[in-house]
Amino acid sequence: MQITEVNADGLKRTLKVVVGQDELGQRFDRRLDEIKDRVQIKGFRRGKVPVAHLRKLYGRSLMAEVVDQAVKETSTQALTDRKERPAMQPSIDLPEDKDEIERIIDGQSDLAYSMSFEVLPEIDVTDMSMIKLERLTVDVEQDAIDEAIGELAKRSTAFEAEEGRAATEGDKVKLDFVGKIDGVAFDGGTGEGMEVVIGQGNFIPGFEEGLAGVKAGEDRVVTATFPEAYQVADLAGKEASFDVTVKEVAAPKVPEINDDFARNLGAEDMTKLTELVSARIAQEYAQAARMKMKRELLDALETSHAFDLPPSLVDSEFESIWQQLNQSLERSGKTFADEGKTEDEAREEYRKLAERRVRLGLVIGEIGDKNKIQVSQDELRRALVEEARRYPGQEKFVYEYYEKTPGALAQLRAPIFEDKVVDHVLEQVKPAERKVTKDELFAALEKVTES
Amino acid sequence: MNKIKVYDVILSPVISEKSTLVSEANQVIFNVAPTANKAEIKFAIESLFNVKVKAVNTLVRKGKLKTFRGRRALQSDSKKAVVTLEDGHTIDVTTGL
Repeated sequence: MQITEVNADGLKRTLKVVVGQDELGQRFDRRLDEIKDRVQIKGFRRGKVPVAHLRKLYGRSLMAEVVDQAVKETSTQALTDRKERPAMQPSIDLPEDKDEIERIIDGQSDLAYSMSFEVLPEIDVTDMSMIKLERLTVDVEQDAIDEAIGELAKRSTAFEAEEGRAATEGDKVKLDFVGKIDGVAFDGGTGEGMEVVIGQGNFIPGFEEGLAGVKAGEDRVVTATFPEAYQVADLAGKEASFDVTVKEVAAPKVPEINDDFARNLGAEDMTKLTELVSARIAQEYAQAARMKMKRELLDALETSHAFDLPPSLVDSEFESIWQQLNQSLERSGKTFADEGKTEDEAREEYRKLAERRVRLGLVIGEIGDKNKIQVSQDELRRALVEEARRYPGQEKFVYEYYEKTPGALAQLRAPIFEDKVVDHVLEQVKPAERKVTKDELFAALEKVTES
Repeated sequence: MNKIKVYDVILSPVISEKSTLVSEANQVIFNVAPTANKAEIKFAIESLFNVKVKAVNTLVRKGKLKTFRGRRALQSDSKKAVVTLEDGHTIDVTTGL
């Protein structure tokens, strides 16, 4: 095998690889020898087929196989010999001339092909202590805790039936109803013991409003019009009258904030609940602060590492962004004009984004490599469980998807790896702490995410 | 004997361990029509493959009694011809006609 470098321009490399005729012949003979004892041909006992006969029968297809394998092996061999890391799978150009291929397969000519690829650039990781970061901390204030507890109370509103109460907004009404269009009951328009909370807008417009002022035991006819965009085409836009029999009118009751309320929510008493809530809020703040810091860190890493990017990586990243973008535009029925820019401008913009992603990906990978940061099986499994929990009832499918799709797990691994690297860098950078208010924190976060 | 008849005499080459073995002795084996005689086979081979034949030996393999779906039936007999070629003549049966 002979390897000559034809072209080395920037990150691009082109190699010419020649595999000699006799080397191919040897490979071919070895391959013949291998299958000799396995093939079964009518008229011969297994393993008794003469090699000459085999060569006549399978020679050409075997040779094609051998050539194929030789190309694969020699190309990886060439890469390892040169000790270069390709950015992507090298593209291999085999001779296209028909006669040439024929001659190679007949074993009369050397196998020569050229392979081109891009190498990963050498990355010098900059000194981490050069990076200046700030960790914003926020004290959890009593106001925020009170607000959160109030929210909790509102969510656990109970309803209490009251005799003789006229329903108003926010009340829960239990009723039976028969819906009719032009005096004829329609499919799915009948219900018994249904509970309606007035003012929530869960039913067709006009229905809830029509219930205002009903009392338990009252019969009433409510007219309401189905909206034009109703999911049942037959009913859309039609006016319907509902014969309603009210069973019960219940008033909402926001629970008082005391120890009983806390116990209902699973805490021991009010102090415990306050603690829990404040811990949750503090965690929220910490997360926001971390996110801001991570964004700033990534920005800093991007600007402090200047090296040429392999165009093929940027291209493929850009393509995937572009595709996603186009799909989402198509779904929402928008064009670039709606977003206030031309397609070329958008292309330019996303090209920059792609470059940023590739650069950061390479830098983070390099830092991770240098510091031997790895994602353990445990962490991966935890992430998988988390992922599965996002689709309740379909956990099995999620697991199956990750088991069967190669590369899916790698996608899961990437953010964990990134987080670990960021953690590692943050440890080294030792960010300065600064106290700010809650509003300042979120404003800062917004600012960095926008840019 | 015309060309069509020639194809009726020679049915197929026999490719087996034994046939490759005898090819060492410049002999080729064919399945032939059961009605064909040695002279016809010699003429057919010579005109089909453009070679000179030294000798033809024939054999009739009697049909075997086979049971198929509970019925016993006799397979038809088949005739094979071992054709010896003159020195310097060869037939490559695997490449076909």
